Amino acid sequence: MAGFLLRRLALAVFVIVTISLITFVLSHVAVDPAAGVAGDSATDEDIAAIRVLYGFDQPLITQYFSYVTNVLQGDLGRSYLSGEQVSDLIRERVPATALLACLSIVFALLLAVPLGVLAALRPNSALDRFALTLAVVGQAVPNFWAGLLLILLFGVNLGWLPISGSETLAHFVLPAITLGSFAMPALMRLVRAGMIDVLEADYIRTARAMGLPEQTVLFKYALRNAVLPVISLTAVQFGFMLGGSIVVESVFAIQGIGYLAWQSMSRADMPVIQAIVLLISLAYIVLTLLADLLNAALDPRIRVTR
Amino acid sequence: MSNRTIATLAALLAISVTPVAAGPDDNSLTIAIGEELPGYDGYISTSRDGVVMTRHLFDMLIFRDPETFDYEPLLATSWTRIDDLTWEFTLRDGVTFHDGSVFDADDVVWTLKTYADPETGARSQASVSWIDRVEAVDALTVRVISKTPFPSALEFISGSLPIYPSDYAQDVGLQEFAQAPIGTGPYQFVPGDSNSFTLQAYDGYFEGGGKGTPSIETLNVRVIPDTATRIAEVIGGEIEWVWNVPSDQIAQLDSLPSVTAELGSTMRIAMIAMDAAGRANSESPLMNPMVRQAVNHAIDRDTIVSALVGGDGEVVNVPCYPLQFGCDTQAATVYDYDPDLARSLLAEAGYADGFTVRMASFRDRSRAEAVQSYLGEVGITVDLEMLQARASFSAWREGEIDMWYGDWGSFSIADASASTGNFFNGGTNDGAQDAEVIDLVAAAAMTVDEGERQAIYSDAISRISEAAYWVPMHTIVMGYAYDSTLNFTPSIDELPRFFSASWGE
Repeated sequence: MAGFLLRRLALAVFVIVTISLITFVLSHVAVDPAAGVAGDSATDEDIAAIRVLYGFDQPLITQYFSYVTNVLQGDLGRSYLSGEQVSDLIRERVPATALLACLSIVFALLLAVPLGVLAALRPNSALDRFALTLAVVGQAVPNFWAGLLLILLFGVNLGWLPISGSETLAHFVLPAITLGSFAMPALMRLVRAGMIDVLEADYIRTARAMGLPEQTVLFKYALRNAVLPVISLTAVQFGFMLGGSIVVESVFAIQGIGYLAWQSMSRADMPVIQAIVLLISLAYIVLTLLADLLNAALDPRIRVTR
Repeated sequence: MSNRTIATLAALLAISVTPVAAGPDDNSLTIAIGEELPGYDGYISTSRDGVVMTRHLFDMLIFRDPETFDYEPLLATSWTRIDDLTWEFTLRDGVTFHDGSVFDADDVVWTLKTYADPETGARSQASVSWIDRVEAVDALTVRVISKTPFPSALEFISGSLPIYPSDYAQDVGLQEFAQAPIGTGPYQFVPGDSNSFTLQAYDGYFEGGGKGTPSIETLNVRVIPDTATRIAEVIGGEIEWVWNVPSDQIAQLDSLPSVTAELGSTMRIAMIAMDAAGRANSESPLMNPMVRQAVNHAIDRDTIVSALVGGDGEVVNVPCYPLQFGCDTQAATVYDYDPDLARSLLAEAGYADGFTVRMASFRDRSRAEAVQSYLGEVGITVDLEMLQARASFSAWREGEIDMWYGDWGSFSIADASASTGNFFNGGTNDGAQDAEVIDLVAAAAMTVDEGERQAIYSDAISRISEAAYWVPMHTIVMGYAYDSTLNFTPSIDELPRFFSASWGE
C-alpha cells in the first residue's frame, strides 16, 4: 500500500509540473498578455509601456522560472488587473464553488442511485424507460438553457427562489439542480448497467437460493459491487465541479472559481489563470487518489493485485 | 430528513425570498453590471462600468454637460488659457473628500503628476502623456502645462482625470487606494464582496457644481455576468436598472408595465476598416481605391440601420462621430447604395470575377452577415469570423485580416482627435497608412486655433472618404431597461449618471 501511495504521489507531482508548464507556455504564446492587461481601447504606447512594466519583454524561460520559484515559496503572485494577492482572490471564491459542487453532487447521487437501482430491477419497464429518458434529457439540455428555464419558472413566474447571487443557501438551489442534472445521467446509467450485470451473477443467485431477504441481497451484495465504477466516476464529476462551472456560475451570478477563471482568461490575467489550473489539477489528483483508495477498501481484489 | 431539518430549510428559503425594502421605499437603486471591477482607480480600471463608477466616486476639475457638451464648473470654478501650453484653473473653496480632509491645489498637483509618470502605469497613456508639468500657484490655483500645444486638453481634464486625496493615497499606496477609494464625488464607497458593493450619497457634497446634488441615497451595485439573468432580475423586480440589453428584446421588455426599456443613441460609431496598406496581404485587391469605393457602394447601410440597428441609430458618412469637434460631415464623399456601380467599378479595377476577403467582427452577427451577403451580391466572397471584441480588434491591429467590422467609442471624448486621430495616425489601428493623412492628423493634434484645426480635420476627412479607406457604417445604440418609476435619461456618451436620477411617479 505504501509503495502504491508513493508511486501515485510521484506521478501527481509530474502531472502538476507538466500542466503548469503547458499552461504557462500556451497562455503566453496564444495571446499577448500586455494587450490583455491594457484593455480594449489601449493605444500602442499603452501596450508597450505595460510590456516593460510587467516584464513580458523578458525571455519566456526566464519568466517561467521566476514564476515557479515564487510558487515554491508559496507566492502565487498578484492579479495583473486588481493587484490583489491571487491566493486571496482564490480563497474568497472557493467556498461558493465548493458548496455548489457538494450540493450538485449530492443532488445527482440522490437521483442517480435510486433511479439506477430501480431501473435495473425491471429492465425495459415503464420506470426504466422514464429513467433513461430523464438521462437523455439531462445530458442533452445545455446548462445555460436549463438554468434559464429554472430561473423563469421558479424565480420570475412563481417567485419561490432567488434568481441570482450567492448570499443564502436558497440561492444555491437552482444552480445545484442545473449542475447536478448534468452529472446525473452518466452516474445513473452506470448504476443501472452495473446492477443489471451483478444481479445476473452466480453469487446473487446463490444468495437468493439461500433465502436471504431481497433487501440484503440488493444492498449488501449487489449494490456494493455495482457501485465501484460509480465511485471513480463520481470523483471525476466532483473534480469537474470543484473546478467551477463557468456556465452555471455565470448564469446564476455565483462568484466562484469558474467565473473567476473565465474572467481571468478573457482579460489575460495570467497569475490567476495559472493558480486556478494548478488548483483544478490538484483537486482532480487528490479526488482520483481518494477514489482509488475507497475502491481498494471496498474491493479486496484491488488491494491484492496491487 | 427529519421534520426539523425540513422546517429549518423552509425557513431559510422563506427568509431569502421575502422582499426587503428597496427602490423608492428607501430611496435606493439596485443596478446590475456584467463584469466584476478589478478596482476603482479610474486611471487603471478602464472598463466602461469602471469609468461610470469613477464619475460617481470622484470629480474632475470641470464637468462636461452630457447634452450640450458645454463645460461647467466642478472642482474648478473657472479656467483660462495662459498660453498655447498652459491652462490655469481656479479651484473651488470648501470642498472636502469623503474622509473629511480638505481638497486643495496639492491634491491636483499630486494626482496629475503621479499618473503622468509612465512608471505609475495609467492604462490609457493617451489621457495623461500630454502633461508636462503641473504647478500650484497658490492653495486654490493650479496650472497644467502640456508638452506641446494640446487642443483637446479640456476634453481629457473633464473626462479622464479624476482628482484623488494626495495624503490618503500616499499613506495607503495606490493598490490599496483602488480597493478603498476616497474622492470628492457625489457618492462614497462602501465595500462589499466580489459580488456587490454600495455607493452611499455623500452628505458633504458641495453645491453648485455641474453634477448637482444626488437625489438617490443608496446605489447598490451587483455583478451578474449573464445578460439573460440580468434581464430576468429586472422582470422579477430585484434589479432596477441594467444596460447592454440586446436591441431585439427592448420592445418586449418595454411592454411590461413595471419596466421601461429603450435604445439610447451613443457616440460610438461602427465602421468597416479595410486593409488599404496591404498589411494582411501584400497583393490585396483592397489596396486599389476603386475596389474600396465598390465595397462602399455595395452595402445598403440604410437598410442595415433600419432593420438591424434600431432605435435612434443613424448612418454615418465620416470617420468620426458627427458631434465631435472637427468632424465635418460636409467634407466627406458619400457613397450611395448602388450595386451595379459597385460591379462596374470592380470590373474596371480588374476584379470582374470577384475575390475573397477575411472579415472579423464581434458585436452583432446579423449585421456582419448582412454585410457578407451584400458583398456576395457584387462578387466579393467574405469569410466572416465572429470573435470576442478584444480578439477581433487585435486581429485588425496585428494586420491579420482584410476587413474589420468594428466600432469605436472615442473614450467619450468629443473631439475628432479621439476618433479620426486614433485610426489614421500611422499607428497599428491605421489600415491606410496614408502619409498625407498622417501628417494632417498630427498637425491637427498640435494646432490650438479652432478655425485652423477645423480646416485641417476637414481636409483629412475629405481625403479619407475620397480614398474610401473605411466604410463608415452607423452609430451604435445602447439598450437600457429600468424600473418604470425611475427618472433616468440615457446620454450619448455612454456614461449613465445616477447622481442625476431620481424616483418619481
